[in-house]
This record gives sequence, C-alpha cells and structure tokens, in this order.
Amino acid sequence: MLALRLGRRSGAAVQLRRLMVAAASGGTGFLLLSSLGHALAHPEAPGAATVRLAWCAAPLAATVYFAVAVARTDPGTRPRPGLSAIGLGPGRLMAVSAATTALSCLLGSTLALLFFLHLRGDLTGMPFDDGAAALLAAGRPLPLPATLTLLALVPLIASAATAASLRPREAGGLRGAARRRIADARRRDPGPGTDDDGTTEAPAEAPAAETAAPPAPTAAPDGLPWGVAVLVAGLGVAGYANRAGVALTPDLSLVPAGLLAGWALAALGLALIGPGLTHLCGRGLQAARPGAVRLLAGRVLMAEASRIGRPLGVVAAVAALAYALVLRYDLGGPVLGPLGGLGALLVAGCTAATLVTAAIEVRQVRAETMLALLRVGSPAATLRACAALRAGVLLAVFGPLTVAVAELASLTPGG
Amino acid sequence: MEAPPDNDVLWARALHFTHRDRTPGLNGVSLGVRDGEILAVGGPRGSGKTTLLRCVSGMLTPTKGEVWFNSTPVHTMRPSARERLRRERFAWVGPEPGLVPELNVWENAALPLMLRGTGRRKAKERALDWLERLDVGAVARRNPRELDQAQRQRVSIARALAPSPTVLFADEPTAPLHRADRVHVLRTLMTAARSHDITVVLATNDLEAAALADRVVHLLDGRRVSNAQLPPAAGTEGRAACSLSV
Repeated sequence: MLALRLGRRSGAAVQLRRLMVAAASGGTGFLLLSSLGHALAHPEAPGAATVRLAWCAAPLAATVYFAVAVARTDPGTRPRPGLSAIGLGPGRLMAVSAATTALSCLLGSTLALLFFLHLRGDLTGMPFDDGAAALLAAGRPLPLPATLTLLALVPLIASAATAASLRPREAGGLRGAARRRIADARRRDPGPGTDDDGTTEAPAEAPAAETAAPPAPTAAPDGLPWGVAVLVAGLGVAGYANRAGVALTPDLSLVPAGLLAGWALAALGLALIGPGLTHLCGRGLQAARPGAVRLLAGRVLMAEASRIGRPLGVVAAVAALAYALVLRYDLGGPVLGPLGGLGALLVAGCTAATLVTAAIEVRQVRAETMLALLRVGSPAATLRACAALRAGVLLAVFGPLTVAVAELASLTPGG
Repeated sequence: MEAPPDNDVLWARALHFTHRDRTPGLNGVSLGVRDGEILAVGGPRGSGKTTLLRCVSGMLTPTKGEVWFNSTPVHTMRPSARERLRRERFAWVGPEPGLVPELNVWENAALPLMLRGTGRRKAKERALDWLERLDVGAVARRNPRELDQAQRQRVSIARALAPSPTVLFADEPTAPLHRADRVHVLRTLMTAARSHDITVVLATNDLEAAALADRVVHLLDGRRVSNAQLPPAAGTEGRAACSLSV
C-alpha cells in the first residue's frame, strides 16, 4: 500500500518510465506465452520450443536491466529525511522499491495475458479476435500452472534484481577493499557528528570520506583490460565459427554454437569496456590545458564513467548485433516475423531506454553540483555546452567502435 | 521611483518577499550598504537573513520593493542581465562550501575566472595566489574530499574572492565550523575584503562574528529591529486560550 501511496504522487516523467517498464514486461511476458503456445501447437518437436524459450532470455534480461535502472532513478523511493524520521530507512525503502517494480511488471504481465488470450480468440468482442490463432495454438486449453509460472518470471526476477541493486550498503556503495577499509576506519573513529541523520546519500558518505579518504571521484574504473580481452576473444571465436561462411535462418533456430558464443563474448566485452572507455574519453577531453567547458565536461565524464559507461556499452553491443544482423546476414525487420520483431524491438528499446534512464540518474546525482555552479555564476549556456560536448565525444568514440566490432565479428576470414 | 543615495553601493527599499508556499519571508526591510564596508545582518534562524541576501544579490526577485546596485535598478532587470551582474560583480559564499567534487582545489578556485573567459594560466595564478593568502595553498592540488570542512570553506572563500567582486555575500559562512576555525575563517575573510576594498554583506547569528563587522543590522521575523533580543516571555494572560491537554 505504501508503495502505491508513494508512487501515486510522482511526476509525469516518473509515471512514464514506470509505464515503459510495464510495457517492456508485457512484451516479454507475451513472448514467453508465445513460446508456450508454440510448444502446445507442436508437441512433437520439443527441441524447437526450447530454442524459442531460450531466445526469450534476451528480452527478459533487457527488461530486468531496464526495470532496475528505472527503480534506481525513482525519486519516490529514494531515502530522504522525512521518511527516515518516521522509521523508513534505506532497508524499508528497498522493499518499497522492489514492490513498485513488481507492481509495474505485474501490470505488464496481466496486459500480456489479456492480449494473448484475445489474439488466441479466447476473449472475444474486440477487433483482431483470433488474429493469430494459428501461431498461438488456439483451440488447445492453456495449462494454468505453466502460464502463471511464465508470467511471474519477469516480476519476480525484476523485483529481486531491484532489491539486490538497492540493498543498503555500508560506506556509501563502495565495494570490496575500499568498503572494508572505510568500515574499519569508521569503527575506530565514529567521525564528526555534523550530519547524523544518515539518510540522504551525500551526508551518509561525508563522515567516511573524512576518516579514510576514499579514492578520488575521477579514479579510473577497473575492467577495461578484462573487457578488451573478452571482446577480442569473442571476435576470434566468431571469426573462427564464420570461417566457412554462415547463413542464418530467419527464425534463428539454427545458429552455430560457435557464432553464438562469439557474439555473446563480444557483447559482454563491450559492456565491460564501456566504463573504462568512457573514463578514457573524459581523460582525453580534459587533457592539454583545458578551458572551463572542456575541464568540466571531461571531469564529469570521468566521474560518471561507471554510471553512464555500462549502459552505453550494452547499447553499443546491441547496436553492433543489429548492424550485423541487418547488413551482414540480411535479417531485416520483415524476415524475423512478428515475434522475432517484437523481441528485437524489446531488446533495442529497453537498452536504449536504460541509457536514457542512466543519463537521468547522472543528472539527479549532479543536481547539487549544478546548483553550486549556477550560484557561482556559470551561465546556463556553458553548462549546456558541457553536456553537448560530452554527448558528442561519446558518440564519436562509441559509434565507430560499434561498427568496427560488428564488421569484425561477421567477417569471414579468407572469404 | 526614488533614486538611491550616491554613496551606497547597494540599496534596498521596503523589500517584501513571500515564498511560493505563502510562507512570509521578508516584511518591508530597507537596507543601505556603503562602498567598502562590512555589514553584518544578524538575527536568529528563520528571521529572513538568507532571504534578504538572496533578494539583494539578485538570486530571488522580491515580491514588492526595490533593489539598486550602483544606481542601477536590479529588481527590474531581465533574468539574463541579472545573471551577468551576479557573475561579474557579486560573489557568494554559503554555509556549504559547494565545491565541484571532480575538480581539484585550485581548479575549483579558478573556475569562476575561467567561466568569465580569463585564460587558464592567468586564472591559475590568481587562484593559487588567493589560496596561499587563505592558508590553503599547500593543498592546492588535492581533491576537495580530502580536505576538512574548514579548509573546504576557505577554498570556497578563495573561489569567491579570486575574481575580485564588488560585493561579497556571505551567508553564514562559518555555520558548520567549530569556534576556533570559525574565528580564523572569518578573520581571513574580513582581512582579505578590507585589504582589497571589497564590500561584504555577512549573514550571521553569531554575536562574535557580528562584532567584527563595521555595522550590524538585526532582523526578526522578516522585519528590521533595533536589536534581536526577544521580548520577555508573556505573563499568564492569554495562556488559558490554549486548550492544550497532554
């Protein structure tokens, strides 16, 4: 109930983001149900049905990723002094966040079920009754447990992931050695009691920052070497699988395992190098005697590398895959069929929306600094120029990288 | 419209301000700040000191009343002109240092200069110069996070003073500090302002701080009063009207 009450009064943009989560969850639920329908219609070929179900993992992952990103930017469930005063700390708000996510996803799943039944012709009275009866195994009774299991997948996984990503952490979300060091330092010396409410993120971090001097906000994220290694390995595997030339079938049921593994590794590599590469972009931007605009743009990029870089890497991976599928394997929109098209749309839409949401999160995190900058009299035009410069540099680096990865991964050696 | 007296660099007349949620802020405050003086605005929390400073510095537009800077009306200016005035003539130090966490100390201090188009080398020289004067020159290459609060506050003062503003607005600049640091920070601020002929408007509820100023203006509940001592507690009359039973 609390989740509903907190969620009801948020702004149009927040509601729109939640609706998008519901839509994504609905699309994924529909795909899962369609694979069930295919299995019901073809009980003689369980292998093909399994492949269809397995392909649903991609939209499922994209939807969960997006749902977590939206939950992280939701201002309604952010720890704040007013709620902390009545005993709603970060722990309870994590639960509220997970509940909100589950609600959005459940709404989507319900709509997916209704739409599915409608297209099968089970619910009548609207246009397109049994429009896809053949595809969705109309005429056969739908097994209830299987339907419920499939529809519960998205809400359960999404809210579990939300809870895991928003669980209250000691020492302001640092991990590993840095977190242990700060926790130790805090135990020895409780720190100055200037901000003892410990509710918003910044004051909670402040005492720890003073006792143990955490790494500078512009420190390089690790993972770049690993990312490059994985990416290169993926390109190698894909190239090896490609050596005789591969023709993919439109329903993607017969993709060579080597090619699939290569692409998965390359995509993982891109996601891994995203933060490091973003950091390098920022470093390059603020190098060599920068003025105010380059300095601010570069340093912000360095500081926000892990927030913005990860979704950017994922978008680059999806874009590379789309590029290769459409231009190299001639599997454009109409060839994939309605369900494949829906899946592709879901993956692309969710990753792009996640990137936008990450940008919103960065803006929320930096709101206070922006206010301070405006207070010292920086013109709004300068700040806009900074943002445009950042976006331009990222596009200029990640665009060619995407195309290069796509070309290399679909290269036929010696062909 | 009455023109302000010539020797006042800042002049405010009958300022009224109501917040957006209809909370009363200021209730007819008039104020004149002479060139080069240090004026303290005293009063308890919630008496309207910050609101007065924001109105006079052009961050907020008063609901009613006039603000003049060097015989130019500020209250009728367009937002962009006011922004330029604030950037080129005014400086602001708040209770929070408000430093940009990604930049190091000297870059923070040089930022307002660079935003005004000063070259990087010159901005760096000026910033380092001011950091040296405020005793934080040794940490000029460190990150603001590694400094303590008093040092950060001094960096914020250096950032405000480096572009040589005409008027410096200091809104409780020493509020989060201990007393020893408080006196030190305030003395450096005052000395720097006096030696460079910078007018200072200082909001404070600290009597010691107010004693360092040339003149003190007291506010109480959004009005100017002769001193900020609260009237003695009322007698028993009127208490019966309050039906509090706990």
